[in-house]
Amino acid sequence: MSDNFSYLLMAWSDPQLLMLTALGTFAGIYIGAIPGLSVTMAVSILVSFTFAWDVNDALALIVGIFIGGVYGGSRSAILLNIPGGPSSVATSFDGYPLAQQGEAGRAIGLSTVMSVVGGLVGTIVLASAAPMIGDLALKFAPRDYFLVAAIGLLLVGSLAEGSLAKGIFAAALGAIIGLVGMDPVTAEGRFTLGQVELMGGIHYVVLMIGLFGVAEVFYQLHNLDAPVKRQVVDKIIPSFAMVLKFLPLSIRTSIIGVVVGVLPGVGGDIAALMAYDHAKRTVKNPSKPFGKGAYEGLVAPETANSAAVGGAYVPMLTLGMPGDAVTAVIIGALVIHGLNPGPMLMVENPHIFYFTVGNLLLANIFLLIFGLMGIKLFAKFVEMPKAVLIPLILVLCVVGTYSINSSMTEVYWMLGFGVLGYLLKIFGFQMGPIILGAILGPLMDTSYRQAMSSAGDHPGELLQGLVTSPLSLILTSAVVLILLGNTPLLKKLKSKFSPASARG
Amino acid sequence: MNKTDKMLVGERTFCALLLVFSLAIFYLAYQISGFSSANSPGAFPIGVALVMILSAVKIAFELIGKARPDCSGWIDAARQFRLQHFPRRTLIFGLLAVLYLAAIQWASFYISTFFFLVLAIVYLRGGRVLNAAGVAVLLLTVIYLMFTLAFSVYLP
Repeated sequence: MSDNFSYLLMAWSDPQLLMLTALGTFAGIYIGAIPGLSVTMAVSILVSFTFAWDVNDALALIVGIFIGGVYGGSRSAILLNIPGGPSSVATSFDGYPLAQQGEAGRAIGLSTVMSVVGGLVGTIVLASAAPMIGDLALKFAPRDYFLVAAIGLLLVGSLAEGSLAKGIFAAALGAIIGLVGMDPVTAEGRFTLGQVELMGGIHYVVLMIGLFGVAEVFYQLHNLDAPVKRQVVDKIIPSFAMVLKFLPLSIRTSIIGVVVGVLPGVGGDIAALMAYDHAKRTVKNPSKPFGKGAYEGLVAPETANSAAVGGAYVPMLTLGMPGDAVTAVIIGALVIHGLNPGPMLMVENPHIFYFTVGNLLLANIFLLIFGLMGIKLFAKFVEMPKAVLIPLILVLCVVGTYSINSSMTEVYWMLGFGVLGYLLKIFGFQMGPIILGAILGPLMDTSYRQAMSSAGDHPGELLQGLVTSPLSLILTSAVVLILLGNTPLLKKLKSKFSPASARG
Repeated sequence: MNKTDKMLVGERTFCALLLVFSLAIFYLAYQISGFSSANSPGAFPIGVALVMILSAVKIAFELIGKARPDCSGWIDAARQFRLQHFPRRTLIFGLLAVLYLAAIQWASFYISTFFFLVLAIVYLRGGRVLNAAGVAVLLLTVIYLMFTLAFSVYLP
């Protein structure tokens, strides 16, 4: 117990870890705020630079960037009406109208405090739920892992913008990319096209840097000439009465954020939109109409996307499955440092869990400090010309990719994935499912083969196991419900049994 | 059918390419170990390839009912696609990126990065070579300090 407590406070008491968390949070706020620089891109590039570091140092910096980056996106959403990332899209609905009404300072202040509230709720849920889920995960059979991964891929496909078919295609494409290389059981080459270079597989950080870095670079070239809008920012520290007024809503939307964040594959962007929708439906007398500067419309997404961070760590630490794209990269960082995220992490390396919880709490404290100061410096920073930023991102992508295996071939792969990502983006495909597919695909392959082996190579027996084990039955039902929920069948059933059609 | 949605230029061709790509993936997955057993190295890849084919077909079906883009024939569609998504700025930047990657291997990282940054900034900002050179030197200094001294990573 005392050991766990000391791990919890490790980042608070070690000056180097304290400084790295502070630096990460500070940098995250600025990275997240620059349109075109996403927190996923930053963490993907950064992870490759921290391979040689001590794992605690690397995690401290990454946690800081994650917390700061998710929050940072709200600043550009409020000030420029350009969300810094997908999780800040809902923030701009009411944040920008508030800035136009001369209340940018108050909006930034309130969003900072509410992000911290959401972040703390998310961390508390992580601290209390993860050990329980970890214990439950030890009872998971391989088929259950397969089903949880399938749920994650289906959710990310169905909840993301666009069609389910595009989401599933993207996830399957990611899975194929993840399967490239030697089969772990038979050492047979899969999708290697006879190339020796491909036998080792494609590192998914290379894929991530290509999809989130290079594709975004090409995409941002279209917005090069967009003028920067400036806002007046005055008093930013919100009054205690104001914080208290929105506290009940923030707790409710934090819970939405955590629950959505816990689902494998679904992150802050979906959480923020769902929380905004919740606020719109439940708040009867908003401070201003929604969409025209309602503080409730600002509070709800900001708390939810921050709470989703803690939630996203739950499946990552307990099941080894990423809660969102950023935790997918963190899994890679842990693996490279010789740690194996999943149920055994809590048993073999509990210090990583308690260290992460303590670090998340610390990063939220730094967020409160850095979020309420340095607005003028911030305003200058986000105005950095894109003509400088775009080539710089490309150079960072090259350096980041090369540093993984010192391979120029991987750098060319990264550029190729960037062009592919750009093309897919043009036609409405999301990048998130591809990354999750690349991570969950090999995991599903292993789980499927283990499950099939334990069923004696009889598919019938495996299918029987899906409905006879209570846990597998629940997970199978979830898969079926998600699939049915996205077919015209459900709409037909709804219209058939709706009161209007019944009257008719 | 809802006719309000409009198809993007090149969307039909892209869907056809997705389907062809999915079929090629299925062929490659089948090549791994055929249908030898439900537990073979190729079993899961075949399943994933089938999912790709089915979703590519569904994506193609979703185009039915969408209004066609305003273009006359394939050549016009290709021209519009290039202008919309690969305008001169994108193409030139892409070319600079490829040349930069090629140059890294025979020139050093710092020299090639300096020239890439200067050329890209001059092109994207329109002129001011000295200014771009100053920015490039500043960025290279930051890169050196961050990656060589702070992060200790191998640079290309």
